[in-house]
Amino acid sequence: MPGWITLIVKSLILLVALFFLTKWLGKKHLSHMNIFEYISGVVLGGIVAIHTVTPESNIIYGLIAMFIWFIIPFGVELFSLKSKTFRNFTQGKSTVFIQDGKIMEDNLKKEGYSTDDLLEKLRDNNIFLASDVEFAVLEPTGTLSVLPKRENRPLTAKDLGLNLAPDKEPQTVIMDGKVLLEPLANLNLNKNWLETELDKMNVSIENVFLGQADHDGQLYVDLYDDKLVVPEPSEKPLLLATMKKCQADLELFALATENVESKELYERNSRKLQHATELIRPFLK
Amino acid sequence: MTVGSQVKSCFSSIKSAEATIQLLASKTQKYEAHAKFKEAEKIMASIKNDLQKQVIQLTKEEPQYK
Repeated sequence: MPGWITLIVKSLILLVALFFLTKWLGKKHLSHMNIFEYISGVVLGGIVAIHTVTPESNIIYGLIAMFIWFIIPFGVELFSLKSKTFRNFTQGKSTVFIQDGKIMEDNLKKEGYSTDDLLEKLRDNNIFLASDVEFAVLEPTGTLSVLPKRENRPLTAKDLGLNLAPDKEPQTVIMDGKVLLEPLANLNLNKNWLETELDKMNVSIENVFLGQADHDGQLYVDLYDDKLVVPEPSEKPLLLATMKKCQADLELFALATENVESKELYERNSRKLQHATELIRPFLK
Repeated sequence: MTVGSQVKSCFSSIKSAEATIQLLASKTQKYEAHAKFKEAEKIMASIKNDLQKQVIQLTKEEPQYK
């Protein structure tokens, strides 16, 4: 067999082996690997590279070496899932760098971090003043996780005491002009509903590049023809506006009438309507 | 616009809002939203009843604008 054929066959075999081994090793992102996982990945690649370009090498040896470099990290990972002490040993523990707003100099020194390194890591997290940090910890993967002080954290709905409706993931129901039946079924909707909604918007399904529906049954579409303007779903804002208007009307009637009984009735109903509006307002946003 | 017709138009707006709430209640997949819409629907129905009485009374009071 001429050398180049051996080379092609060997490359193909090793490539397939490498593909499956890396697949089984899991889908951790490169930046989330610890140094051991990272190096064993590099070694796997190295073995493949060496054995493909040296014609006199024995492919069996290559495969055995790859297997060893695969099975040990794999076994370590499997075992560390079970045991916390083993996990601490193999993956390392996190180190606290800042606690209660104070920098732990000893821990910095232990991990070999200079003040500049710490500041750089903080800047990575968009923090330019060390005193803004309440707590910071160096993860085993080498990333710094930072908890800013309460006043420096972004404002959330919880801080404001806002009452928000629970959210569910929207489903993609049209892709490249084709209906996707499974996501539609997930929403308990069918093709008929989709056709009706599209008719309401006055677009044909072939013209839809992407269509998504949420759990309230509202359809959002993007068209191939970008010159066409698609109406946003207006049902909910319209309802809110109608309810507000009616409430204002009722108040007006209450002010205008001189009949005590009617006045009382209008006022009572205005209050009821306000209550109903407050009730469903979070769901109309 | 007479008072009667103003109340009437408000009455029909309430009816339309009630129908929309009903529609949203049956369309939504979220349990919590469904419950809230149902509750709001009940309130709207009671407002509707009250207003209906008022509309009838006003038509009686303003028969010339009927």
